[in-house]
Amino acid sequence: MSRSISPAVIGKLALAAVLLVMPFYLDAFWLQLGLFAFATAVAALGLTLLLGQAGMLSLGHAFFVAVGAYGYAYFASDPHTAGNDHLGLGLPPLVAAVLAVAVAGLAGLLFSPIAARLRGIYLGVASLGLVFLGLHVLVNAERLTGGVNGRDVPAFTLPGFAFEEDPGHTLYVLGVPFHREERLWYLALAVTVAALIYYRGVVRGRPGRALRAIRDHEVAAAAMGVNVASYKARAFVIGSMYAGVGGVLLALAFRRMVPETFGVALSIEYLAMVVIGGLGSAGGAVFGALFVTSLPAVLERYAAQVPGVAPSGSGGITPAIAARFAYGAAIVLILLFEPGGVAALARRLRRHPPPASPEAAVVIDADQALSRSSN
Amino acid sequence: MQNFAQLLIGGISLGAVYALLALGFVLVFKATGVINFAYPALLLVGAYTTARAGELPLPVAAILGICAAVVIAALVDRVLVRRMRGGSVIAVSIMTIGVGVLLQTEIIRRIGIDVLPIGDPWGSGVVTLGGLTIPQTRIAALVVGLALIACFFAWFKFSVWGVAMRATAEDHETAALMGIPGGRISAASWAVAGGLAAVAGLFVTMFPSPGLEPTTSAVALRAFPAAIIGGLDSTGGAVVGGLVIGVTEVLTQGYEGHLTFLGLGFHAVMPYLVMVLVLLVRPTGLFGTRELHRV
Amino acid sequence: MNRTSTAFALSVDLVTVRFAGVTALDEVSFDVRAGAIHALIGPNGAGKSTLFNVLSAVYRPVSGAVHFCGLDLTRLRPHEIAALGVARTFQNIALLPEATVRENLLLGRHHLTRTGFVSSGLRAARSGREWRLHCERVSEIADFVGIADKLEHPVGALSYGDQKRVEMARALCVEPRLLLLDEPAAGMNANETARMAHLIRDVRNSLDIPILLVEHDMGLVMGIADRVTVLDFGRCIADGSPEEVQLDPEVLRAYLGTEDSARSELQA
Repeated sequence: MSRSISPAVIGKLALAAVLLVMPFYLDAFWLQLGLFAFATAVAALGLTLLLGQAGMLSLGHAFFVAVGAYGYAYFASDPHTAGNDHLGLGLPPLVAAVLAVAVAGLAGLLFSPIAARLRGIYLGVASLGLVFLGLHVLVNAERLTGGVNGRDVPAFTLPGFAFEEDPGHTLYVLGVPFHREERLWYLALAVTVAALIYYRGVVRGRPGRALRAIRDHEVAAAAMGVNVASYKARAFVIGSMYAGVGGVLLALAFRRMVPETFGVALSIEYLAMVVIGGLGSAGGAVFGALFVTSLPAVLERYAAQVPGVAPSGSGGITPAIAARFAYGAAIVLILLFEPGGVAALARRLRRHPPPASPEAAVVIDADQALSRSSN
Repeated sequence: MQNFAQLLIGGISLGAVYALLALGFVLVFKATGVINFAYPALLLVGAYTTARAGELPLPVAAILGICAAVVIAALVDRVLVRRMRGGSVIAVSIMTIGVGVLLQTEIIRRIGIDVLPIGDPWGSGVVTLGGLTIPQTRIAALVVGLALIACFFAWFKFSVWGVAMRATAEDHETAALMGIPGGRISAASWAVAGGLAAVAGLFVTMFPSPGLEPTTSAVALRAFPAAIIGGLDSTGGAVVGGLVIGVTEVLTQGYEGHLTFLGLGFHAVMPYLVMVLVLLVRPTGLFGTRELHRV
Repeated sequence: MNRTSTAFALSVDLVTVRFAGVTALDEVSFDVRAGAIHALIGPNGAGKSTLFNVLSAVYRPVSGAVHFCGLDLTRLRPHEIAALGVARTFQNIALLPEATVRENLLLGRHHLTRTGFVSSGLRAARSGREWRLHCERVSEIADFVGIADKLEHPVGALSYGDQKRVEMARALCVEPRLLLLDEPAAGMNANETARMAHLIRDVRNSLDIPILLVEHDMGLVMGIADRVTVLDFGRCIADGSPEEVQLDPEVLRAYLGTEDSARSELQA
């Protein structure tokens, strides 16, 4: 049977081509923003898995991102050169990154029995506690975390290839200077693509089915043989590992971590991303991440052209504040008019005639492609 | 020992304030099934309005603050929640996250890096009882808090609105069939919640903190663990939860010197730690309804 | 109580369930024989659904036991009961409306498959092969139940009767050794009820498994049941063949208060 290439596949290939080529054309500002967006997208995938697929509200996502970020800093820092008397194990960056994600997963594992037992807002607030615990540790454990002032993050290197620039020696690829942002871009892109592929695999397969059953009809899921507690726990661990990966990428992108970043506001931001994008949808999570991360930076850059936005520090509506208003309003509007988020909007546009709108329940099925592209 | 008793009273006083806070949150949940994520922002609205009405005498400013919070809460219900009636409460709950972000962002923007004093009429006056020195503000908070809690329960149990709300909370379909207007119940619960949040906000920013500052939002968040400890659908539980949070917070802070290994500021984590411990034993809070599965 | 075979029979022994001060089930005992269609009837609030929930380990009884395949179901967790081959349908349709029929049916294969978070994410070959085998079986079952043409439709778009059939098909996908049907004909008109009755009989005939069903529709019950157990206020008040139960004065009193009018009702 011959299969014609669907528009969706062509779209994805085009997107991939564009992403591969971007570093040759964009300046450092956009590339850095892109790194931030990739990192956030990976973490957001973890939350949309938890909330959208499994129906588990986690307000503690910022905690696991912090574990990933600070974990990498700790594992990769060489205490002799780090300065400031910070602790570090000085491991090769790749090993440090893997370990950091593992530790995030371990933290998720430790909390998972609680996550499996609690439901709804009870889980939400319990996980919120993790954020406060995390902040407390980040501020107090100064030798480990650098306290309120934070700590620097070692550069990433692979054997034989440095991602940070060697001063005095510029790498040229096809005539374009490849600084730090260009090199990290491909790393972040690869990690994000891998994260997406893994997500798709889980969501389309048996685990995804089980999670959605748990989300919608927990008793029926158990009656069909799903070990509900075990699945919830495992989903939580996977979610926290995604957050950990996002944290490592964040650390690499910014080269410096401060505790302030990982507060309740960050958890709310992640929630906003997955809601705006559409719960359970991978594309939605990526879109939401892009939307929420790029808004403040874009508004900052073009503050002069955007009416009502004043530059930071002037006391008016700063770009950061304007961005918050934007995503706060986006949440309200999305829930009022299309609870399925941008993903549902996209689905509606693709179908003629548009299908009956999904019920007001926010939870939606992941990837409609699930039902169409399977054998 | 003296220190302990003082701390305990301070804790109960703060606990009464937290109890008021938790009550508002639980009320909206009981009456409408909605988790009001915008609730901490309502506290900020009330406290901010009171602070900004600085020239006016405190009672007037306080009433202004309460009115502001009540009005904003009622508006949210009327304009937004009502439009989503008939849909899922989860959707409404998530929508309130957005509302909370909007309200909180605006208030915090206006506060800036300042600390806005609320104006403590009791100042640094203290009362000496049986060898204990207790700040007057703490006594005032305790008295007002307990009085309001008592009023609330009297209203909830005996007034027409209160009974109607309890009926709706119990079985909203039957209540609707009996002619109880669900929309008005929702509006009333939001309004009362706004009022309670504002009162709590008053006391929370009066003492011992110097006033309203951006970190007040973290304090406002404590409505959640307080309500959860008691059980999300139990008004009595909200009071217990509030008291538990208040007492543990003050005790932890008071004994911080002895607990240096835990690090500074552990009292911010304490409410959540206590909450998790409670949830381990009772996954739906101390007095929350154990879920019966409906199949 | 006589048991013709112990291997595939269900035995409910003195099950008592209490909550919120109400005794929902009071020392209920009855047996389901191998290969029998056994109906559980009774007025509203009699405890039928409660008993089903005990059988699925949603509720734990205060006392008593349920024996199946040599194990006490009340000591197991719900997913373990499914692994034993006990499958059930739900009174309120418990399907995922946004997913296709096929996706919903595949959930029934959960305990027969092994793909986990690691192998599915990494697209291990095993998960692809497994999927194909089970898809075939799902198609077979869908065909048997009569919904094969709707496999790729979202469940939410199906008629109520079809959705009930999907529920049944999903339970069959578990490869059950005991089937629990919770009001399979609820909300159906005469035609659909007759279809469902045929289907239930077909299932019993081709799989030769015991089927326990809760039903309100007396026509269905009397038409296909081999044995009937009657509950009232949580107590077992009658147990026997449909004919015996129809004439039982206790049963008539429970349903309709007086003997004569009730008798004519039940024989309608």
